[in-house]
Amino acid sequence: MSILSLRGLRKNFGATEIIRGVDLGIETGEKHAIIGPNGAGKSTLFHLISGKYAPSAGAIEFKGKSLANLPPHHINRLGIARSFQVTNIFPRLSVFENIRCALLWPSGYHYSFWRLLDREAGLNRETEQVLEKIGLAGRAKIPAGEIAYSEQRALELGMAIAGGAELILLDEPVAGMSHSEADHAVDLIRRVTEGKTLIMVEHDMNIVFELADRISVLVYGEVIASGAPAEIRANTQVQEAYLGEALSDA
Amino acid sequence: MKTLAAKWGLWGGYLAVLLLLPQVFDSILAISIFNQMAIAIVFALSYNMLLGQGGMLSFGHAVYFGLGGFLAVHVLRLMEFEAMYFSIALIPLIGGLTGLLAGIFVGSFSTRKAGTVFAMISLGIGELVAASSLIFTGFFGGEAGVSGDRTFGPPLFGMDFFSDTDVYYLAVFWVFVSTLFMYLFTRTPAGRMANAVRDNPERAEFIGYSARWVRFISFCAAGTFAGVAGGLFALNYEFVTDENLNLVTSGRVLLMAYIGGLGFFIGPIIGAIILTLMNFLLSNYTELFLLYLGILFVLTVLFLPRGFAGFIMMHQAAWLRGRLHGLALPYLLTGLPALLFILSAVCLLELSHASEPVLHFLGLSLARDSALSWAGLVLGAGLGAFLTARSTPGLRRAWEAANAPETRGGRERAS
Amino acid sequence: MPEVLVFATLNGLVTGLLLFMLASGLTVIFSMMGVLNFAHASFYMLGAYFAYSISLYFGYWTGLILAPLIVGVLGALVERYGLRRVHQHGHVAELVFTFGLAFLIEEAVQFFWGQDTKNYQTPDLLDFPLFTLFGQEFSAYRGFMLTISIGIFIGLYQVLTRSRVGLIIQAAISHPHMVANLGHNVPLIFTAVFGVGTALAGLAGVIAGPVLTTFPGMALVLGSIVFVIVVIGGLGSLPGALIASLLIGLLQSYAIAANVGMPELLELLGLEFPRSHPLDDLWTLNLAQIAPVLPFLLLVLVLIFRPTGLMGKREQ
Repeated sequence: MSILSLRGLRKNFGATEIIRGVDLGIETGEKHAIIGPNGAGKSTLFHLISGKYAPSAGAIEFKGKSLANLPPHHINRLGIARSFQVTNIFPRLSVFENIRCALLWPSGYHYSFWRLLDREAGLNRETEQVLEKIGLAGRAKIPAGEIAYSEQRALELGMAIAGGAELILLDEPVAGMSHSEADHAVDLIRRVTEGKTLIMVEHDMNIVFELADRISVLVYGEVIASGAPAEIRANTQVQEAYLGEALSDA
Repeated sequence: MKTLAAKWGLWGGYLAVLLLLPQVFDSILAISIFNQMAIAIVFALSYNMLLGQGGMLSFGHAVYFGLGGFLAVHVLRLMEFEAMYFSIALIPLIGGLTGLLAGIFVGSFSTRKAGTVFAMISLGIGELVAASSLIFTGFFGGEAGVSGDRTFGPPLFGMDFFSDTDVYYLAVFWVFVSTLFMYLFTRTPAGRMANAVRDNPERAEFIGYSARWVRFISFCAAGTFAGVAGGLFALNYEFVTDENLNLVTSGRVLLMAYIGGLGFFIGPIIGAIILTLMNFLLSNYTELFLLYLGILFVLTVLFLPRGFAGFIMMHQAAWLRGRLHGLALPYLLTGLPALLFILSAVCLLELSHASEPVLHFLGLSLARDSALSWAGLVLGAGLGAFLTARSTPGLRRAWEAANAPETRGGRERAS
Repeated sequence: MPEVLVFATLNGLVTGLLLFMLASGLTVIFSMMGVLNFAHASFYMLGAYFAYSISLYFGYWTGLILAPLIVGVLGALVERYGLRRVHQHGHVAELVFTFGLAFLIEEAVQFFWGQDTKNYQTPDLLDFPLFTLFGQEFSAYRGFMLTISIGIFIGLYQVLTRSRVGLIIQAAISHPHMVANLGHNVPLIFTAVFGVGTALAGLAGVIAGPVLTTFPGMALVLGSIVFVIVVIGGLGSLPGALIASLLIGLLQSYAIAANVGMPELLELLGLEFPRSHPLDDLWTLNLAQIAPVLPFLLLVLVLIFRPTGLMGKREQ
């Protein structure tokens, strides 16, 4: 059964239609990459799934439940977490606090104002484990706005996976990284998303082919092909539209 | 466990200072200053819950303070006319409840957004309530306000609240409890998420929190403690007017919190103490107090964006490296001329504003019509400004030296 | 009744257009810099005071020209050495800075000019009734205010739609982030716009001073109202600011002129309420009393139900 299914999904801003009828099913446990040229609507698709934008038409279902018109925090509580293309953290809070905040809701703390965080040993242990996992244990006390860019990307990833969401959306997780940093990040992504469903948008084809079980190609708001990496590589339509150009670049 | 002991020590020390103050300074004036300080501390801390912790700039925080005060003074009146039996000690609670209810009502629609929209709604509500208070004279007493009498309640631990000292000890209890609760709030999930929403409301939504709810909770809490401060005000002055809920009071609490330092819990306490002291010490000497206050405020926003607390905390790095002493002399070299400049400038302002031919100010006798006094002051100001300007590069170098990273393995910073 | 209506309309127009002179500057400044300038009305007050002092020595007309220029220069200096410095600390710091500035200017005005109301007079040249209608006079000075305001409005409209600078400003209003990429000297444009905006506010002060009285509280009286207008009109919309200015001007003028209130309303409904009831104030309320409250009520309602304002497209 699909964990996430998009049917006839459309999104327009005024007269411009960015997403023009997307049908896509994501299987539980799958690592799915969405690729496509700039302006194809990849980030918009993420914003639709995660609730930042409301769809103009069509359906989004997560485990059989419609996500249409739910605010982002409701969608997150259902078990969908995401990272952002542009680093999106709490800059004045420490690295530790960033991760702990991401853990609060899933751990059932909600809006409580009668429990003291420092006394919640279980929560703090879990926070430290996440920090250990993403390799930021040594930076725990530093304000998140002051750590290095690649560290902020790791933190971004950590906040997405911290709550134990079943479906993780990663928007260009290695954008702006050097080769060695990117290799390290791929390794990290593989480790922390083990056993979870992953959808990611990525430009770097090497990383896409390394991480994804299945790839969808989005061009001008439509999915023109969807399949295993080998199929996509062989698909002539994809090569014409996009991949050939990207591969020859690489 | 050392930090735990330090924490207990800090809070114990706070309580001890609060309790011992009237033993050391026991004049009627001192007690009245302390009472005003106590009220200001709670009010400024409650404002910081909004702006410093939650990122909500309010121009109408006096509404909750004032409404709390009015309700409290009305309860005092009911007690006076024996229409109600209540304890004087719990009067601030009446204020707090009023603030909470008003906060729930206003917060239900004003916390949808932070930023300019929130600031404007708070301004609108503030003006609305202030203007209404002059219309509904039955409850607000018009321009004259409403007065009560705090001595009609049952005595508490032998205190009958005839004297301000009795009020002070009651205020100490409420200040301490309020400070503690407001501090603890910052350590709870709701309080921590308030910081997160302040920093990045969008991200907070994607980790499961409604930014609006998070703001709403902070807003209600801030309203509650502002109401407590209003209740204390009613007890202390036995008198509440429309001025306690209008823009002037809202502006003053913003001033206190900002000058003290928004980013630090202790900032508003410092701000409340400084401004209350300034108010008492200066307003007796000069009519220009508000002008100086305005200058101080604008200069703080320009040069000390994190307030006095931020200024103190700036020295933490140098202190940890044991290099603070290196700054003492440069500070002195810049500070003394700066002081000369400030004092001369203040004298110039006072002299030009003097109503008497001879002005006695700061131990000086300055004649308004004597060219010598004017020339001397201008010279003092000029010399002060010149020497200050000359010595600042030295101070800057000393500062950089004191804060330079250690030579071995300095940490790299993100670009 | 008709004379009340005519005069209320005329007075409403005068107030409305005067408000627009303030609101237009505030709107353009907000659109381009994202700063709601709390001190905007303080520049209006400075305009009145400068013009008063100048008029003592050189007459009204010199003040009319010089005072707005001085205020404009002051405004530009504030932008250059104040706002720009605070800008790096974020919007809250900017808003707090302008708030502090408003406070400081009010105190400074009291320092230099004292706390009393200044006897700032309309010029002799305009001290005659323009026309008399139903036995009531409409003063030439009010006609002059109306003319100046309309002239400023037309001038502003021409500059914004015809000139190159105007087009850049318009671009900056609708796409604030794009202009930096156009290669224009954005900081200089900011300073200039701030200077012109405050000069307009100063001009409004010069012409309003003799009618609305020149006293240290005059900024406070108008300041919040101008804010209300800018928000109601839609943050960043000049046509919206015009409509809202006229709306508020007329609304207040009618509310004061109409001598109706709860007693009349209750009588109409055939209801009666006991006097000296705790809610007595409510039964005796009349429209003139709540006139000052109306703009703020409108402000809160607009912000709750339509945060973009009447004509605005952007939400802040």
